[in-house]
Amino acid sequence: MHSKRDPIVEALCRILPGDRVISGCERVAPFECDALPVYRERPRAVALVRSEAEVVAVARLCREWQVPLVSRGAGTGLSAGARPDAGGILLVTSPMDRILSIDPDAMTARVQPGVVNLQISRAAAAQNLFYAPDPSSQIACSIGGNVAENAGGVHCLKYGVTVQNVTGLRLVTIDGEVLTAGGDCPAQPGYDLLALVHGSEGGLGIVTEVTVRLTPQPSRTRMLMADFPTVRAAADAVSAIVRAGVIPAALEMMDALAIEATEKFCHPGYALDAAAILLIDLDGQPQEVAADMAVVEPVLARSGATRVQRAADAAQRELWWKGRKSAFPAVGRLSPDYYCIDGTVPRHRIGDVLEAIDRFAARYQLRVANVFHAGDGNLHPIIMFNGREVDAVDRVEHLAADILEYCIEVGGTITGEHGVGLEKIDQMAVQFSDAEIAQFLAVKDALDPDRLLNPGKLIPTLAHCQEYRMLRKSDG
Amino acid sequence: MAERDCSLQLQEEVERVLRAAAAGGAAGGLAIAGGASRTGFNLPLGGHRLDVGEHRGVIDYQPDELMLRVRSGTPLAELQALLAAEGQRFAADIPQPGAASTIGGAVASGWDGPARAFGQSLRDSLIGCRMLNGRGEIVNFGGQVMKNVAGYDLSRLQVGALGTLGVLLDVSLRLLPRPECSLTRSFLVPAADLPQWWQKTRSLRPLISGACHRNGRLYLRLSGRRAAVRPLLDSLGGEDSDFDWSALRDLRHDFFSAEQLAAVYLPRGAPPAQYSGDVMVDWEGARTWVAGGDHPALQRRAGEAGGFVRVLRGRPTQVADSGRGWQRRIRRAFDPQGIFNPHLAETCFTGGEV
Ligand SMILES: Cc1cc2nc3c(=O)[nH]c(=O)nc-3n(C[C@H](O)[C@H](O)[C@H](O)COP(=O)(O)OP(=O)(O)OC[C@H]3O[C@@H](n4cnc5c(N)ncnc54)[C@H](O)[C@@H]3O)c2cc1C
Repeated sequence: MHSKRDPIVEALCRILPGDRVISGCERVAPFECDALPVYRERPRAVALVRSEAEVVAVARLCREWQVPLVSRGAGTGLSAGARPDAGGILLVTSPMDRILSIDPDAMTARVQPGVVNLQISRAAAAQNLFYAPDPSSQIACSIGGNVAENAGGVHCLKYGVTVQNVTGLRLVTIDGEVLTAGGDCPAQPGYDLLALVHGSEGGLGIVTEVTVRLTPQPSRTRMLMADFPTVRAAADAVSAIVRAGVIPAALEMMDALAIEATEKFCHPGYALDAAAILLIDLDGQPQEVAADMAVVEPVLARSGATRVQRAADAAQRELWWKGRKSAFPAVGRLSPDYYCIDGTVPRHRIGDVLEAIDRFAARYQLRVANVFHAGDGNLHPIIMFNGREVDAVDRVEHLAADILEYCIEVGGTITGEHGVGLEKIDQMAVQFSDAEIAQFLAVKDALDPDRLLNPGKLIPTLAHCQEYRMLRKSDG
Repeated sequence: MAERDCSLQLQEEVERVLRAAAAGGAAGGLAIAGGASRTGFNLPLGGHRLDVGEHRGVIDYQPDELMLRVRSGTPLAELQALLAAEGQRFAADIPQPGAASTIGGAVASGWDGPARAFGQSLRDSLIGCRMLNGRGEIVNFGGQVMKNVAGYDLSRLQVGALGTLGVLLDVSLRLLPRPECSLTRSFLVPAADLPQWWQKTRSLRPLISGACHRNGRLYLRLSGRRAAVRPLLDSLGGEDSDFDWSALRDLRHDFFSAEQLAAVYLPRGAPPAQYSGDVMVDWEGARTWVAGGDHPALQRRAGEAGGFVRVLRGRPTQVADSGRGWQRRIRRAFDPQGIFNPHLAETCFTGGEV
């Protein structure tokens, strides 16, 4: 079954049972990309691991043979972080999918990295607890991948992103050493390794266990939907709500194109004549929610909302959120291809940035739908295109680069939650100086001196940065 | 508010020490000082002093953004007043042990007040920083936005690093609206009954913002909308109390003047320990302050329970470098010559190797 002559594959077969080592061009094909399929590569071998001891053995093997090791969880990443390396091993942690324990007193759950995000909340529900970060991919993505990307979600405005909701983890380095970070204590001694691993995209080690913080389910949740005649008015309402002293559990925005797409896809009942809508969750103690509602509704009206509706019941709330959460596939129905980007900007610049996106899109004759985490200023412009048109991909790439660089210009960042991966490696050269890139590389070298973990991703080399800056300059 | 940008002077000073180090000098390195208000808590200033206290002033404060960007030498007291005037506060419960305490010193020391147990943590409120590294370069990490995953999170890493990775120049912090009210009730509770109470306090989330036990009394603080806090307090019973939470947060309570002082950190839900010495229970039992205790014994027992001890007065405990020296390697990545707070680096990060 295996190409027996490849010594790496043979060595892997000595570590793992044969059915968990996959090699050969055809058989590794399902692993050639994550959810950003424009980047593909077939790995030399795929290792499906079930335990930390196996991870340690695979890491040591890679170190010994000096071959790249790319980690993969569920493969739902949107920045090609889990794209394999042609000469290396793809280590898949999704089979490590056990919830090890739930401690209702400490309000934590100890889980293996392959556990699917939503499974944690399902398992904790009996204790009236849930795991707060809820990426739209939560039915599929793994907690290990969430840690590696520092994933966010609709309810992260109030409850924080992954790093705020993880209290401990175990990390296997390329040496096969197991480091523990944090634990059940709310504080820890020493450097904050726990923070450093979040968002490290598999570049510092392999996460083999995660202790997550669980949150008591709020006793009341109320949802509002507000329609706006202009995108600018909706954007300004977002700042006004925060300024009025309310932090909603979720504060999301969709523009006309996104509304049209989702209405066609799953009929959530959005206003087709609105230029933008805001979806707002308020949760907490009943009296608190009532007081927040009394603040938010007039703020929406003052900000120019043409209609503000309250979800009548849980079913309507679910339907309104379903529309939001299925926005990507919905846009996919309107356009042969789509490409989603992920910059974050200061909240008060959302209006400016959305207008700029429209201008840039016109320049490249492309359409962009916007559906995003407005409360944290985290944009998700979805560029619609037809990949069969000759220069489409090229135009999309230029538009994406223009948008991301504009995000930097207004004081934001090229990625709020999807990660850099391979996809945004060029823009790292714009956001950071050489000294900063060199500092990132020094930190990587402290834990992965041979740069075997997820090579070529997240942090570009200095030479790459200089090349890209020259290229953009000559582009004008 | 006094304003002054001393970045370039600080950079020159670091460059000078680096040149001296290259020439074989600079023994002792640079001792970074903000307001020097924590030196009495086992954070002594050693070596040649680098004063950051003059580098002060607000760079950007936009109430709409819930974000504050400020020079590291700015006194915390000034910032608290500035935010209060806009109906806002830090998203963390930041201790301010002296009038001179600076925001840079607070971030570097990484201490948290009583509300940390209820979600207000300093490491989670830092969204970016500008710093001088051990190559004498000024570098920026994170930014002014809440969500940012470009590159490694090197700004959060500075929280609690005690300046051993570089000199913080500016920090960007997340803010929150000030709660409409904060009220405290006290209850007569023997220490042995605390575990049952900690089960009960779980249901007080998200309004609970402090839980402290001292001399047979339990103090619970609730913060939020008056309409929500009032009925919850009434259902709890107990007596109204004017317990001074800021004296606890800022370590100004008489309790903290003890000659031997330690904080014992235990996993939430760990069985309560018996202590010799005077105690004050904080963070729903996850942090216990012990005055006049036997520190090596505390350390041993906390370790067995999965926790650790921080000695604030008395002989400091060395923090072992778990694993084969990763902390040492991280330090070298920022400060290859080891010039920043070298005495603290030894005791607090790269001490005994296991
Ligand atoms: C429809 C859709 C909606 C999405 N919505 C959101 C959203 O709302 N918010 C959001 O943040 N993201 C979202 N994403 C992106 C994606 O789901 C997240 O980035 C998620 O965290 C990836 O998890 P994964 O298990 O699929 O990781 P993978 O894609 O398998 O890997 C992602 C990265 O993590 C590394 N990695 C994986 N496992 C480990 C491990 N055990 N140890 C070390 N490194 C590891 C990989 O090397 C790679 O760099 C969405 C994706 C899709 C397809």
